[in-house]
Amino acid sequence: MKLDLSALLPDSIRPKAPIDAALDDVHLPGPTGANFPLPDVADVDSFERQVVEMVKPSHGTTTLSFIFQGGVIVAVDSRASMGPYISSQTVKKVIEINPYLLGTMAGGAADCQFWQRNLGIQCRLHELNNKERISVAGASKLLANTLFSYRGMGLSMGTMVAGWDHKGPSLYYVDSEAQRIKGERFSVGSGSVFAMGILDQGYRWDLSDEEARELGRRAIYHATFRDAMSGGTVSVYHVTKDGWVKVSGDDVGELHYHYYPAE
Amino acid sequence: MGDSAYSFSLTTFSPSGKLLQIEYALTAVASGATSLGIKATNGVVIATEKKLPSILVDEESVKKTSLVTPNTGVAYSGMGPDSRVLVRKARKLAQTYYRMYKEQIPVSQLVRETATVMQESTQQGGVRPFGVSLLVAGYDELGPQLYQVDPSGSYFAWKASAIGKNMVNAKTFLEKRYNEEMELEDAIHTALLTLKEGFEGQISGNNIEITWRKSSNFQGADFKLTLPKTCCKTAQRLRCA
Amino acid sequence: MSIMSYNGSAIIAMVGKDCVAICSDLRFGVQHQTLATDFKKIFKINDECYVGLSGLGSDMQTLRQRFVFRHNLYKLREDRNMKPSTFANMVSAVLYEKRFGPYFCEPVIAGLEPDGTPYITGMDLLGAMAPASDFVVAGDNTESLFGACESFWRPDMNPEELFETISQCLLSGVNRDCLAGWGGVVTVITKDGQFTRSLKGRMD
Repeated sequence: MKLDLSALLPDSIRPKAPIDAALDDVHLPGPTGANFPLPDVADVDSFERQVVEMVKPSHGTTTLSFIFQGGVIVAVDSRASMGPYISSQTVKKVIEINPYLLGTMAGGAADCQFWQRNLGIQCRLHELNNKERISVAGASKLLANTLFSYRGMGLSMGTMVAGWDHKGPSLYYVDSEAQRIKGERFSVGSGSVFAMGILDQGYRWDLSDEEARELGRRAIYHATFRDAMSGGTVSVYHVTKDGWVKVSGDDVGELHYHYYPAE
Repeated sequence: MGDSAYSFSLTTFSPSGKLLQIEYALTAVASGATSLGIKATNGVVIATEKKLPSILVDEESVKKTSLVTPNTGVAYSGMGPDSRVLVRKARKLAQTYYRMYKEQIPVSQLVRETATVMQESTQQGGVRPFGVSLLVAGYDELGPQLYQVDPSGSYFAWKASAIGKNMVNAKTFLEKRYNEEMELEDAIHTALLTLKEGFEGQISGNNIEITWRKSSNFQGADFKLTLPKTCCKTAQRLRCA
Repeated sequence: MSIMSYNGSAIIAMVGKDCVAICSDLRFGVQHQTLATDFKKIFKINDECYVGLSGLGSDMQTLRQRFVFRHNLYKLREDRNMKPSTFANMVSAVLYEKRFGPYFCEPVIAGLEPDGTPYITGMDLLGAMAPASDFVVAGDNTESLFGACESFWRPDMNPEELFETISQCLLSGVNRDCLAGWGGVVTVITKDGQFTRSLKGRMD
């Protein structure tokens, strides 16, 4: 019996599975999702630039993530806005890629959700193929590669890929320009400057678990206070060697008066 | 510089501390036709002589009292052309106020603004004071009011007053006849009587002008301009009496 | 982004039975950045007349000064306070004076006329008056404020009911607005006097 090694071949020369071909007909992306139909216009680039203006993604967000001795903290707000209008206060901006990997959402919500689910698929395939979990470096590279193939086509994402792998806690920043940076702390979104101010001030590698979680919470809270486009609830996730746990979700309406009681 | 010590301005203090031009203006007023006004409990009336130089003048064309706002009327003694300038300025001031506040200018404000105009021509170079005194009658939130404005720019509120040629006698007459409870009907009658007192010749609806404002129904009732027929009747009644 | 929502604002005026209320949020920001949370946008003109100014913060302050200046002169000249309707007409005239270089403020005026009738009116930045008999809103998210007011307002509320209603309307309204909120301040005017209370709100 001949082994099917086609999955290892590049997309371009890989023979199409019947299901993939069928999906092509209805213009749905395949499992690795790399075949969107392009608009039938002469100048795709300038058309896309106009489209970006029309479907301008909401940029109001605060997300942050940092690694420390006890793992990775991921904290986010939950506001979605359309211009100055608050369209939702209960958006989930942490994307649970798999039990050991988290992604964060900033920029286009649909872009983030779709491509991180797609990343989840790719990670699972890697796991099945290699009988071990993908590293954070690997996962973030998969995402960066995908985003590279769509560079200049109007995707808008600023995401952090956080997780725990065989080397311990690990954190990458990946964006729609296909930039991929390894680091110990990041903050993304319109409120990131405020969050980073708190984060830089309070960060140490040897933070205790509780201190680290509180630092993340507090940084996001201050961002929601100062940044008009951030708010709602503060969600804090903690990734340990056993995978991620959601630590807390606090309504800022109450959190403020918890930090600063009235009168 | 001219030849005279005062030639650079008509309105310069004399060594005795007087502004002679103002005094002359008052003289012009004092030689003008008599005007008078009476404030009643429910309205206010102003009346003035309208003596014409010749019977050939069309008396209908001569107007000696004017409306400034729907609730303020003016009579004058002195120089007719000067009064027209003042009435025009007063009307403009009233309209400026109305434009700003969408509300009729209170009588006191109109008087103050008009007095300011008159004062300005006692201090500016190259102008002469107005040769008129005004009687401003009006009705506003504070009730019926009567003011006198002089060429100097000073103004006074009166219960009843008179200006012009026969002012001294008329005032004496008014002092005797006036009382605080007087109603408009009574005041109009007294106004005509007072005019009649100092009138040279027969008083008639053609040689006087009378204007009044009744307070009842403040919202709707405008200042009533001269109603010759009513005047004629009253004048006739007076002649008979 | 519009200059009218550069600093963020929300204002409501509401009519009750023999009383009126006017309120504003407290945020002052520069675009998305919140700089202060104690920036009141309603100003007392006299015991029976308040004005709320929405829009650009600097013009709010300038206009307030000009209106107070005008009112002070009026008081000295006429020895009385401006009625709310008179004040509104003055505001309208002052705004239109700058027809070709307007102040970026939309005022809301609330008060009681001398006979005790409630008076409220809104205005655009050029001075076009829009008097109302129920409520007036202004700010950068009037849709949400209108929605709340349309749902909660009812005729003939007493001062306490009016306070509760206008407060809930303001808070609900600004909770859908990125650029306004961070607490509020409410003044209720009755013929027996006025009271002013501050509101605790979401601070995001």
